Amino acid sequence: MSNIVQWTLGVVLVCSSLGIVLARNPVHASLSFLLTLLTLATYYLQLSAQFIAVMQVLVYAGAILVIFMFVIVLFQDAHYQLDQYKPKSSSILLLAAASAFLLTLAVLGRNFASVSPSQHRLPDDFGSVQSIGKLLYVDFFFPFEAIVLLFLVAVVGALYIARKGT
Amino acid sequence: MDLSFSIWISMAMFSIGIIGVLAKRNALIFFLSIELMLNASNLLFVAFANQWGNQIGLIWVFFILVVAAAEAAVGLAIIIHLFRSKQVVDVDQFNELKG
Repeated sequence: MSNIVQWTLGVVLVCSSLGIVLARNPVHASLSFLLTLLTLATYYLQLSAQFIAVMQVLVYAGAILVIFMFVIVLFQDAHYQLDQYKPKSSSILLLAAASAFLLTLAVLGRNFASVSPSQHRLPDDFGSVQSIGKLLYVDFFFPFEAIVLLFLVAVVGALYIARKGT
Repeated sequence: MDLSFSIWISMAMFSIGIIGVLAKRNALIFFLSIELMLNASNLLFVAFANQWGNQIGLIWVFFILVVAAAEAAVGLAIIIHLFRSKQVVDVDQFNELKG
């Protein structure tokens, strides 16, 4: 049973990732990305990381993808201009680079194929909101505050960059 | 769930993301490919956290999520700015910094 779930999730993940790269229309690409994100959330649930799965749906599918959609709608006619110019990079070289990269990954991946399955018994509250929150606010308090500051600076910077009249 | 299976899926997603960054000219799909690579690394963190029963991997995933959100905000602001200056989304057209 678990094998079927695992293979289904894996196939859907790889196919929807390919959909992002192969789609010509950016709306189709971002819908494909949405499928990837939701499948990934299911995968996280299977790995008993409930909090991360919920954050994945809320932050990625809820916030980041909505900004993407807004920007795509903003540029609606610019996407059709893409086909007017010829790409400057040669597609044969690109294909060669991609296949060399995939080959390297395949050779590397053979080393990982023999990793033994987990011997550890997971604690009962693994991945729950309570235990993650305790870890985040007690042991990782300063990194958490630092990341909040980073986010604040990023939002101010984004507003500054995107303002009109420069 | 098998650890090596998760590693394989994560590697496939990461390489698809790299191919997207190399091959696509549309700035938005370019950006989606970068987000795909971030998600591949997240998957690896969760898989290893599950393997060793250690929740610190999940904390890192949380941090990566926040950084991805910040990156999306800044990156899309830059794309909007570039679009305002040239009216195109083709990354090949932005070559002012080329030596």
